[in-house]
Amino acid sequence: MKAKSTTKTSYHIPIGPIHPALKEPVHFEFEIDGERIVDVDVKLGHVHRGIEWAGSRRNPIQILYLAERICGICSYCHPIAFSLAVEGIADIEIPERAEYLRVIQGELERICSHMLWAGVAAHEIGFDSVLYITWEMRERALDLTEYLTGNRVTKAITMIGGVRRDITKDMIPRIQKDLKYLKDNFEKLRHIYLDDKTFKLRSKDCGILTNEEAVKLCAVGPTTRASGVKKDVRVDTSYFAYGDLDIDYMTPDVLTGEVNGDVYDRIVVRLLEVKQSIELIEQCLDKMPKGDIVAEPKVAKLLAQLKKVEGEGIGRHEAPRGEVVHYVKLTGEEHPYTWKVRAPTYNNILPWIPMLKGEQIADIPIVAASTDPCMSCTNRVGIIKDGNKNELTKEQLHQLSIQKTRRLMK
Amino acid sequence: MAKGLTKSFKKALWVYHCNSGSCNGCDIEIIAALCPRYDVERFGIKLVGSPRHADALLVTGPVTRQQADRVKRIYEQMPDPKAVICVGNCGNTGDVFYESYNLVGPIDQIIPVDVHVIGCPPRPEAIINAVAKAWVKLETLEAKK
Amino acid sequence: MGQTRDIGGKKMSKNLKSEEILKYFKDEFKTKIKEGKIYKRVAGSKKNEKLGIWLKIDRTIFKDFIKHLCALQFPHLSVVSGNDLGETIELIYHFTLNSGKRMKEIELNVSVDLPKSKPEIETVCDFIPGALVTEREKQEMLGVKVIDIPDTRKLFLPDDIPDNVYPWRRDKTGPEKYYKNLHEVKK
Repeated sequence: MKAKSTTKTSYHIPIGPIHPALKEPVHFEFEIDGERIVDVDVKLGHVHRGIEWAGSRRNPIQILYLAERICGICSYCHPIAFSLAVEGIADIEIPERAEYLRVIQGELERICSHMLWAGVAAHEIGFDSVLYITWEMRERALDLTEYLTGNRVTKAITMIGGVRRDITKDMIPRIQKDLKYLKDNFEKLRHIYLDDKTFKLRSKDCGILTNEEAVKLCAVGPTTRASGVKKDVRVDTSYFAYGDLDIDYMTPDVLTGEVNGDVYDRIVVRLLEVKQSIELIEQCLDKMPKGDIVAEPKVAKLLAQLKKVEGEGIGRHEAPRGEVVHYVKLTGEEHPYTWKVRAPTYNNILPWIPMLKGEQIADIPIVAASTDPCMSCTNRVGIIKDGNKNELTKEQLHQLSIQKTRRLMK
Repeated sequence: MAKGLTKSFKKALWVYHCNSGSCNGCDIEIIAALCPRYDVERFGIKLVGSPRHADALLVTGPVTRQQADRVKRIYEQMPDPKAVICVGNCGNTGDVFYESYNLVGPIDQIIPVDVHVIGCPPRPEAIINAVAKAWVKLETLEAKK
Repeated sequence: MGQTRDIGGKKMSKNLKSEEILKYFKDEFKTKIKEGKIYKRVAGSKKNEKLGIWLKIDRTIFKDFIKHLCALQFPHLSVVSGNDLGETIELIYHFTLNSGKRMKEIELNVSVDLPKSKPEIETVCDFIPGALVTEREKQEMLGVKVIDIPDTRKLFLPDDIPDNVYPWRRDKTGPEKYYKNLHEVKK
C-alpha cells in the first residue's frame, strides 16, 4: 500500500469516494498499464463520525442505540457484540430462551444482508433484472423482521442481558410460512447465480485470493472462507446457543468440490450461508426452552448494577461480513472508559490489493463488491477529497462493467 | 398530487443521491424504493449517475468535515430548477451523532433544503411522499413564472 | 488429542490448551510477563465454555514474544485497542488461536504499556502483514510511533485536523477544540 510515483507508461486513475460498488465512499487509486491493473492504493476516506469518542460520554444503554447506527446493514451485530462484552465484565447470566432468540434474530439479519449483497453483485455485473428479483425476495425477509421486531432496518431488539421482544406461539406459523417461501425460492436463486453462463464467465478466475494470503492478511468472513480457510466465530467458540446447534464451516467445496478463491466461490459461500441460516432458525424454533427473555428487566436497576463493575471485556460475533470485535473497559463510573469497535471490513481491506492486481478495469466493481464492503462500519471516520471528475467516473466504471458483460454474451 | 397545476414538467423527476457520511440505512431504503415492491420507476423517477442530469437531490447522513465542501459543489453543479430533499434524521438534526469533533452541522447549514424526511431510517413510502412533494414544489415554481 | 509436537524442546499438544500456552510463555520469559490469567464464560443450554487468556508483558520483550507466538501457531490478529491511562498508554493486541476446530478457539489478549514521554513500539507487520491497518490507526489516534511500519500515512482522520491532535487521548492533545454540537440552535 505504498504511495508510489507514476512512471511514464502507466496511468494513474483515481476511483473516488462515490463508490462503484456500493452507495458508500471509498477512494481507490489504480496504476494501470493498458487495461491491466499494476498497483492499487486504498485511501479510507469515509464517514468518520467520532463514534468511539462519543461513546465515552454516554452510559451503556445509550451506547446500544449509538452502536446500532454505526451501520444500517449490520445493525444487529454491533449492539450484540457490545452486550457480550459488557455481560462478560459484569458476569450477567443470560436466560437460555434469550440466547436462542438472539440466534434467530442474528440469522434473519444474515439472510437479509446476503440477499442485499447478491442483488448488488448482479447489478455490478450488469443484470438489473436479477437485482429486482433478489430484492423482491429480500422484501419478504424484511417483512418477517418487521413482524418480529417492529422495524425493517434499525431494530433495537438487543438489551444488555437478553432481548426486548419475545416470539410467542402464535407467531410461529407465520415464521414457518415465510421460511418455506425462502426455501422454495432458494433453488431459483441458486440456478440464476451458479448455473448461468455469463455469471460464470465474469466471475470465475477473477479476483483470486489464495489460502496463504487470506491467513497472512487476517481476512475474515465469507471472503476468507471462500479461499478455504476455516474461520467462523459461530463454530469456533461457544456463544449464544450456537454450542447446542448443528453447524459447520461453509467453504465452497461443500457445493462444488473445489476451492479457487475467486469471485464465483464467494457467491457460492454466501448462498450456502443463506441456506444454513434458514436451517438454523428452524432448529432454534424446535429447541427453544421456556423462560425469561432478559436477565434484569428494569433498566434503572441494570444501570446501577453496571455502575459498580470494573474490568475489561471482549465481545465477538459473526456478522454477515465477518468477525465483529468490541472491546470495552469499565471503571466504576457511569461512562465506559474505552470502547473500541472493529468491524469486519477493516480486516478485509488489505486483501483487495492482491485481488485487484492483474485484473482488468472493467472487473473492478465486481471484485470490490465481492468482499461485501461496508464502509460505514469501518470508517467511524470520514474524509473525502476529490475533484469533480469522480462523479462521472463511477458511472463510466459501471458502464464499462456492463459493456464487458454484453461482449461476453455474444 | 395537487390538482390544477400546469403540467410544465413534461418529463419525470430525475434524482441524484449523495451520501455525506451516513450509516447506509437511508441509502438502502432509497434503493428499496426503486424495487418492485414500491416501484417508483413506474412514475418515471429514476436514479441518475451525475448531478448535471438531475432535478432533485437526495442527501443522507450528517455532514462530515470534508464532505461539506463536496455536498456544496454537487448542489452548485445541478441545473435550475432544483429541489433538495434531506433524508433521515442525521441530516436534519444530527440524530445520535449530536456531538462530535468531525461533523459540521445539519445539512441546512450548508445547502438550502426544501423537503425534510424524518425517520431513522424513513420507510420507502415516506421517501416517495417526499419526492412527490418536491415535484409539486417544482411545478408550482414553474407555474409562477 | 494425543498428538504432540516439539516446540523449542517442549512437548505441546497439537490442539493448544490455554494452560499450556500460559505455561510456555511464563517459562520462556519469566519475570517479563507481569500478569497472566485465564478466564472462561459459558453459554447455551449445554453450558459449553469459551476460554481466553489475558497477559501483560514488558515492552522490551515484545518483538521476541511475537516471534515465539508465530512459531507456536500463526495467530489471527483481530485488532489492537488502546487506552490512555494518564502517565502511560496501554496497547492491547487481541489474537485468537486454534481456529478451524469446533469450539476449541482460545482468545489471547496481550497488553503492553508505553510511557507517554516516548510512546514507541515495534511493528508486527513483518510477521503478520494484516496488522498494517490497525497499526496505522493507532499512530494517528493515540500518537504512538510504530517503528519500521511500511506506510506512515494517516488512515481515517481528515487532513485538516493537524498532526498533533489525537482523538483518543484524554489530555491536552484531545480533539476538544473541534467539538461541535449539532443540536444547538443559534439565535
